[in-house]
Amino acid sequence: MLTMEKFINKVSVKSSLSALGWDQKKLADVLGVSGQAVTNWMKGEDFPRPNKLLKLATTLGLSFDELVIQSAKQPIVAFRKKGGSITTDEHLLNASSMGSLLKSLVKFLPESNALRTQIQSPSLEYEKLQAAAAEVRSRIGIGSQAVLEYLQLINEFDTNGAVIIPVMWGNKQNHGNALHILLPEEKATFIYLNLDTHLEDFKFWMAHELAHVYTPDLAGTDEGEDYADAFAGALLFPKDIAIEVYSKCVSISNKQHEIAIMRRYANTHEISLYSVYCEVIKYANALKLPPLKVTNKDIHAIRNSVRGSLVSHALFAPSQPDASSYIAASHAVFKSNFFNSLKIMLKDFHTGSGYVQQLLDISLKDATALHKELVS
Amino acid sequence: MTFALLDTNIYLRLAKRIRPLLGTKFGANNYSITILKDVEDEVHRNSSLAFYYPWFDNPELATERMAKQIRLSEADKTRLNSAVSILHKSVQNDPRYLTEGRSPPSKTDCRVLAFSQIRDAVIVTDDMGMHLLAEDFDLPVWHGYQLLEQMYLAKIIDEALIRSIYDALENNGDMTKTWKLAKHTTFVEIFGEPEPG
Repeated sequence: MLTMEKFINKVSVKSSLSALGWDQKKLADVLGVSGQAVTNWMKGEDFPRPNKLLKLATTLGLSFDELVIQSAKQPIVAFRKKGGSITTDEHLLNASSMGSLLKSLVKFLPESNALRTQIQSPSLEYEKLQAAAAEVRSRIGIGSQAVLEYLQLINEFDTNGAVIIPVMWGNKQNHGNALHILLPEEKATFIYLNLDTHLEDFKFWMAHELAHVYTPDLAGTDEGEDYADAFAGALLFPKDIAIEVYSKCVSISNKQHEIAIMRRYANTHEISLYSVYCEVIKYANALKLPPLKVTNKDIHAIRNSVRGSLVSHALFAPSQPDASSYIAASHAVFKSNFFNSLKIMLKDFHTGSGYVQQLLDISLKDATALHKELVS
Repeated sequence: MTFALLDTNIYLRLAKRIRPLLGTKFGANNYSITILKDVEDEVHRNSSLAFYYPWFDNPELATERMAKQIRLSEADKTRLNSAVSILHKSVQNDPRYLTEGRSPPSKTDCRVLAFSQIRDAVIVTDDMGMHLLAEDFDLPVWHGYQLLEQMYLAKIIDEALIRSIYDALENNGDMTKTWKLAKHTTFVEIFGEPEPG
C-alpha cells in the first residue's frame, strides 16, 4: 500500500456527517467499526484499513482527495493546450495519474545535473523577458540573431534534467500538444511532446516547455502558461531580430511584402509566421512604434489556409513507425533516456504492458508492441 | 441475486461461445452475469480491439448487451466514483503493482472493481493487478476460469464448451497463466493430468 503519511480529512467528514444528520456513532455503526476507531481516525492517530476507507468514501460520497490528506507532494502538471481547448478536472486527474506512475521510473534514470537553470523573478515585462532569453542564449553559446537549433533546445532539456517523452497522440483528438509533469519530491521533470503537431509550431512548443523547466515555481499555474508562451517567443525570435524585421517592414508599402519578409524569417528560424508577427508586434508595442500594416486577422487567415507537415510525418514517413523505429527516434532525435530507463525498469520489476499503456496514454495494442520490444 | 460482473477481456474471451451469456443465472447464489457500459465504450474506442473482435457488433450480441448491461442511477454513480477514486489512488506509487507481470489497474479497471460497492457482485477478471487490488480491499473477485468452473458445476455449460473455449484461447494466443494452470487442475476431469515434462 501507499507508504507516505496519510490522515483522514476530519473537516470533510464532519461536513458530510452534518449534511446527513449523522453523528460519529452512527457512522461507526454503518461502517461496522467501533466508535473509538472513528475517533482515532478523526484525531489522526490511526488510519482506516483499505476496506473501511472504501466504505467510508462511498458512504459519505467523498473522493480520495476530499477524504484523505497525505504528506507526499503530488505531481504538478501543466498542459500546452490546443487552441480553444479547456482543461477539465478529468484531464488534470489523468495527467496526475501519469505523474504518479512516473515516480517509479525516476530511480532508473541516469544521474542528472544538480545545478539547474532557474529564471529568478520571471516577469512578462518586455525588457525583462528579453534579458532572460538573452541570458539563456548566451549560456547556450549563440548570438542574439542566431537561429536557435532543435539540438540546442534538446540539449537544454538534458542539461536541466528534464526527460523528453515523444508521443503520437494524434493531430486532432488529444487535449494537449505537450504535457509537463514535475515530481517535486523526486526533483524530476518529464516533458511529453506530441509529434503529431505541425512542424512550424513544434519548436515553439519545445521552447514553451523549456520555460516551464526554468520556472518550476510557476508550474501548473495560468501565470506559468503565460510566461512560458512569452519566454518561448523571446528565446526563439529575440528583440535584435524583431528590430531587423520591423525596420524592413516599415520601409515598404504593402501587406504582401510585409508577409513575405516575415515568412522568410519564419522559415529560417523554423517557427510559424504567427510567432514572427507576434514578436515584431511586441517589440513595436514596447517601444510605442507605429503598428505593421499586416493585422492579426491577416496572419490567422494565412495560418488557417497553409499548414506544414507534421513532425511525426517528417520523422517516419511514409508510414507510422513500428515500436523499434519509434524507440530509436526517441534516442537519436530527442536524446531521451526515457525508453532506456523504462526498459531497465520493465525487466527489473517484470512490469506488465498495462503500465506502458497508462504511462504513455496509448492504445493497448501499441503498448503491447512497445512492451514486447522493450523486454525482448 | 449476486451479479457476476465481467471486465472487458473476460467478456471478449467468452461472449462469442457462451450463448446466451449476459443475464444468464446459475448456482446456489443465483449469480447473474452482466457487464458495465464501459465494455461497449472500451471496444468502440480502441480500434485494435474492434479489429480483433469483429463479431462484437453482431446484432445478437449488441442487442443482448443493450438489454442486459447495468444502468446506474445518479446516486449509484456518485458512490461508484468515490470508490473508483479510492481504489485508483491506492494503486499509484505502490511498487507491488509493478512486479510479477502486473500493471497498476487503470481507472476503467477500478470502475469494474468498484461496482461491488454498489451492488452485491463478484468481479470476474484475469488481470493480476486487479486481483491484488481486490485482495487489498477485500473485494470479491474471480478469475475467468473460476466463472467457467461455477457455470460448469451449475450445469449451465458442458465439457465440450469448455474444450472449445480453451481451444480458442490457445489458437488466439490469449491463454493467461491462470487459465493454463487451471486446465490440468480445476478442469483435470476434462483435460486430464498434465503431460510429463
